[in-house]
Amino acid sequence: MKGWIGRILRIDLTDKTFRTESFSVEFAHTWIGGRGFAAKILYDELAPGIDPLGPDNKLIVALGPISGISAPNTGKAVVAAKSPSTGGYGDGNLGTRVALELRKAGYDAMVVEGKADRPTMLLIEDDRVAFLPADAVWGRGTYDTNDWIYAGYGKGVGVLTIGQGGENLVRYAVVRSLEGRAGGRTGMGAVMGSKLLKAIVVKGTRPIPQADPEGMKQAGLGGLREVHRIDKESGWSVQSTNGVLAWCNEVAALPVRNFRKTSHPDAWKVDGERLNDARIATYGCPNCTMHCGIAMHDAEGRESELDYENVALLGPNLEIFDLPQVASLNYLCDDYGIDTMSSGGTLAFYADAIDHGATPGDFSFGDADGAKTLLSMIARREGIGDVLADGTRAAARRFGHGSDAYAMQIKGLELAAYNCKYIPGMALALGVSPIGAHHKESWIIMFELKETSRDSYGPEKAQKIIDLQRIRGGMFECIVSCRFPWIENGWPLDHYPVYFNLSTGLDWTLDDFWTVGDRIYALLKLFWLREHPQTDRSSDFPPAVWFDSTNADTEGPIAGLHLEYDKYDRLLQHYYDLRGYDQRGIPTMDTLRRLGLGAEAAGAAEFGRLT
Amino acid sequence: MKITVKLIGSFVEAAGFGEREVDVPPGTTIAGLVELLAIESSRPMIITRNGRAFADGDTVVSGDRIAISPIYSGG
Repeated sequence: MKGWIGRILRIDLTDKTFRTESFSVEFAHTWIGGRGFAAKILYDELAPGIDPLGPDNKLIVALGPISGISAPNTGKAVVAAKSPSTGGYGDGNLGTRVALELRKAGYDAMVVEGKADRPTMLLIEDDRVAFLPADAVWGRGTYDTNDWIYAGYGKGVGVLTIGQGGENLVRYAVVRSLEGRAGGRTGMGAVMGSKLLKAIVVKGTRPIPQADPEGMKQAGLGGLREVHRIDKESGWSVQSTNGVLAWCNEVAALPVRNFRKTSHPDAWKVDGERLNDARIATYGCPNCTMHCGIAMHDAEGRESELDYENVALLGPNLEIFDLPQVASLNYLCDDYGIDTMSSGGTLAFYADAIDHGATPGDFSFGDADGAKTLLSMIARREGIGDVLADGTRAAARRFGHGSDAYAMQIKGLELAAYNCKYIPGMALALGVSPIGAHHKESWIIMFELKETSRDSYGPEKAQKIIDLQRIRGGMFECIVSCRFPWIENGWPLDHYPVYFNLSTGLDWTLDDFWTVGDRIYALLKLFWLREHPQTDRSSDFPPAVWFDSTNADTEGPIAGLHLEYDKYDRLLQHYYDLRGYDQRGIPTMDTLRRLGLGAEAAGAAEFGRLT
Repeated sequence: MKITVKLIGSFVEAAGFGEREVDVPPGTTIAGLVELLAIESSRPMIITRNGRAFADGDTVVSGDRIAISPIYSGG
């Protein structure tokens, strides 16, 4: 086998044991790597109904067949487990040197199970795995922890770590790396914390097997140069992802005041222009030549790395329009190791619930200092922070008094920073995301406005979502590469099969990746069905307030407009029909067999009804 | 007639301003406005007024607020 190493590292924290497991060529070709490996392993090995924060959950770090190779944006890893925030499948990806080092150590993935008896750091060096005490950094933030690791092992190692949020089982705690990278907003940091696993450190020394090393070298280095060139030409990295903030504000798609408003006259104060003006440094992931991380000084003078999602959700969504203060909130989230997006969404929910009298409290929109205090309380589960640490859906259940109306989430995951009050296709994209309301699978707002109309609920939007899911949630999450060169700068997709084929010796086309993507999405539906046997199409609906005429904007481009329930329902059905899912949104037997999931279909009869 | 032009992302660098009131002749089309602003028309862009996309042949009217943005893809 070329491209893949063919080995998975299995680690049991309870017994402090490890072993290497080989996988077959068929497994590699069926699931590719990254999300594909993670989905298959979790589906096969997790018992239904396990506590995601118990020892039976498994944390997976999965790479792909071009991970670690000198080609554009191959320094990313997928982290996955049963999600403590949604109760379903959860994953995320992040830029990390672990992507390079774990492959050089001789593994395509690692699976961590059980629970340590004390705070632990895993040190993986080729065939050696050491279970080291991490008491010295337990209770400390991710920046200190990262420094402690670098001081001991040098900066050449790959590091994954958690902060206090993960230790204290904040359900949206993330895994952190490289001091500015985070992944797994579905609570992957809490899964690490539940296992008393503070950090994973990896160093490898072996070559990564490739079918055509010389061809790969030429193509990879050429790609790195070309991606850099086109980015300089386009100017995308000048404002990076935060360029979209001003646009969302112009077209009434920005989350403001817990998504109640879609634009704000002060939004310019935190937009991409201001962020670029405040820039003190720029950071990227390993093997990246179009760096997206713009760092600035926060209100306390610390370096904080920002992007659109965290600015929008910790800024306008909290009605905070002071960029250094937003940077401070971002810094605290990063240091505590809690997701910036869900943190912003949860604080906005809390302010909204207080504002509407659903719960007592002294926090309000625009209160940056109050937000800082609350983030600390969340990370430590102190006072009201203990309630907010469980996310908006759970907190709304605790508060009662109709506060679920203020919980802006889908499947338990807080919304990404796109206010879809009147953007039906993007609302659907968030609704059918297999991990909850995240944007990485599909983002179609500009397509909707430019190529169709935001008034339309036409089937072309459902098809576009599937097209993007195959690329973004399918291919890129499986080969584990960053989508930015293609999606933001138009670097042709055809390059990725070339890299894949040079690495593996296969002769795949993009269509082969789409099939694998469809297979993974179908398997993830079965995962959700197994965890929630009563699941139906209602789980693919966005928050009810987007259908509520009393929540419509009172001024601006979409004044008086809102999503229409029946039309959204039909658009959802278009999506199901195109995917080969039934009325509940579950893949049919025929669909599962067509995708090579016959065995999974047969097994699914034990926990759910297939049509 | 006066309109307000809001440039977004890399167009700010290219044109040298972020937001500006611009005098344009009546009947100016979107394509004409792009030319007037010396923005390279071959670059992928979306032009909106009041939250809706403009086509090249559409004309601007006095008091319009026109946003010109590169095509983003949502990170």
